[in-house]
Amino acid sequence: MALVHKFLNGTCILRNYLKPSAALHSFWGIYFANYCSNSLQKPVAASGRASQERTEEGLQRHHQKEVALDITSPEEKPEMNFDKAIKDELKDHFRRLKDEIMNHWVGPEGRPLHDVLLEQAKVVWQFRGKEDLDKWIVTSDKTIGGRSEVFLKMGKNNQSALLYGTLSSEPPQDGESSQSGYCAMISRIPRGAFEKKKSYDWSQFNTLYLRIRGDGRPWMVNIKEDTDFIQRKNQMYSYFMFTRGGPYWQEVKIPFSKFFFSNQGRIRDAQYQLLLDKISTIGFTLADKVDGPFFLEIDFIGVFADPAHREEFAYENSPDLNPRLFK
Amino acid sequence: MSLVPHPPEPPKKPIKAPAPHEELFRQEPGGERDKASFVRAVQNFGQYNVRKRGHVDFIYLALRKMREYGVERDLTVYNLLLDIFPKEVFRPRSVIQRIFLHYPRQQECGIAVLEQMENHGVMPNKETEFLLIQIFGRKSYPMLKYLRMRLWLTRFKNINPFPVPRDLPQDPVDLAKLGLRHIEPDLSARITVYQMPLSDDLTGTEDPIQPHIVGIQSPDQQAALAHHNPARPVFVEGPFSLWLRSKCVYYHILRADLLPPEERKVEKIPEEWNLYYPMQLDLDYGRSGWDDYEFDIDEVEEGPIFAMCMAGAHDQATLAKWIQGLQETNPALAQIPVIFRLAGSTGELLTSSGLEEPPRPLCEVQEEDDDHRKQQQQGRS
Repeated sequence: MALVHKFLNGTCILRNYLKPSAALHSFWGIYFANYCSNSLQKPVAASGRASQERTEEGLQRHHQKEVALDITSPEEKPEMNFDKAIKDELKDHFRRLKDEIMNHWVGPEGRPLHDVLLEQAKVVWQFRGKEDLDKWIVTSDKTIGGRSEVFLKMGKNNQSALLYGTLSSEPPQDGESSQSGYCAMISRIPRGAFEKKKSYDWSQFNTLYLRIRGDGRPWMVNIKEDTDFIQRKNQMYSYFMFTRGGPYWQEVKIPFSKFFFSNQGRIRDAQYQLLLDKISTIGFTLADKVDGPFFLEIDFIGVFADPAHREEFAYENSPDLNPRLFK
Repeated sequence: MSLVPHPPEPPKKPIKAPAPHEELFRQEPGGERDKASFVRAVQNFGQYNVRKRGHVDFIYLALRKMREYGVERDLTVYNLLLDIFPKEVFRPRSVIQRIFLHYPRQQECGIAVLEQMENHGVMPNKETEFLLIQIFGRKSYPMLKYLRMRLWLTRFKNINPFPVPRDLPQDPVDLAKLGLRHIEPDLSARITVYQMPLSDDLTGTEDPIQPHIVGIQSPDQQAALAHHNPARPVFVEGPFSLWLRSKCVYYHILRADLLPPEERKVEKIPEEWNLYYPMQLDLDYGRSGWDDYEFDIDEVEEGPIFAMCMAGAHDQATLAKWIQGLQETNPALAQIPVIFRLAGSTGELLTSSGLEEPPRPLCEVQEEDDDHRKQQQQGRS
């Protein structure tokens, strides 16, 4: 089973290879649904719509970022050596496994323990090169038949990432959606050796820090927890991020106590605080019902422990909406 | 001669079935769509059939038509729509009626009305609550949704740190002033209107001959421009988009490139500048590793910005007028060569000259912008 997954991966990583066809994905996808979960879309908080899974957004991302994937120059004809690709992949995974095991001697995640304990500010995602962009997936409502477009590229001087596109709130004519229009940028789930799902542990921090430059549109930040034993696919914690617009860089600090809980795109009555020990992904969504072009430039994303912030959770449950919690 | 009649020809375009009660919203010739006509249409519905047959369809139709009539943010109109429901009929009377969703279509319709209110940010009031209790009862889904709206809309009412008023000014000069105040964090910045829009009497207000030019500059920026080295050029970059609610305005900036590290000098404030307390304090509080709140990354650095402006047109002539207006308050600008890095409609870059002095043959056409000119960001050195 693992070997067949390597086959899938092996065809993907050969750099100048043609992108895998949709038929291949759907054929193997029936058997290896849990392995392919990294390419399925994380549902985003659209205004009042049920979330669904799509497999095309991975292809869409390929298409958007590397347009000339099919055209290879005559000089750099790659040797499509299938066995070599599998061997390289296996070696890479075993190396990662060895690193993971040896890292426990040094400290958590390979850093010495006193560094990790004393750390108050940590940069989680930075955008200084093309490989940093690979950690993100961009989606729009094209997956349900809408007309918004969104692209992600490196900004000028390779110092930031620019997410830009056009939002269109024209609903798709599929007979069941009455509203549409969203664009999202979601981070990939961090993977370890043999594609094991890992998660972030931010339990010593309490504020999310973003350095961005927007165009005045309101965005929504969504955090998803790790789907460990309990399936929490459609649940996420969100909050709003308001950009100022203008030529100056903006620092946005959102404490984790302000994130509210939502399931399947709807805010739930029973609210509980976001627990930070197993965070899987973070995502930015734009769905402000205004048609037109947009952009968002991100310098880096970090977390830090704000000593002045003492709040544990910003929302209290009300006895009218949840009588069972107050019995 | 065939006795069988021909089948009807297939329609060339898809047949659009008219919605029921649509004729109530038909516009009389010469009438305009505003709140009064909408209210009249709604009241006419009650007149035509006393039993209010098809009120669910009518309410859905009215919700769709609200946007054309411009009443989507009016609470009284929503209360009027809720008033169409017959009262006391849909309230559950027994336990079994309470278990099974009593009158599901009507409850969905009530929820749809409340959902449109929520989408437009309208907060329901006591009258809405009373109507909902009368129509659906206290434990119904529309009533639950009303409670959630009261809770979450109040929680999120003031979370925007940069609020923009809902009713934006229609005048472009006022809109420009609002936009410039919005993006400039320095409160002591001064806004100057360099040119008011003047329109020719023949063409009317749609095509003004003179576009408006509104600029903003703070005293710190003025001082920085005065100290700027005339050997380095300043750039006029733009247009960049700024969204205020649902309106997009474009602004240009005047900035210089970042100085290379060897030329940057830190100004030392002399000790006698302020005798009350020291300007520079070099205390070491013995902070250890756990007090380090800096991020381990070099932040993106960009050159200083000297002024910003919003103009009606994005061509070089208008911006040149802005530079001329800026020169009155910044005489140093006369010696500095100004280069225009614009994304014109042709996609080319235009060069320009310093206005008083002849230009040094400095960097000419630089980057070109691609067709995503509306989404571009600042250029750096």
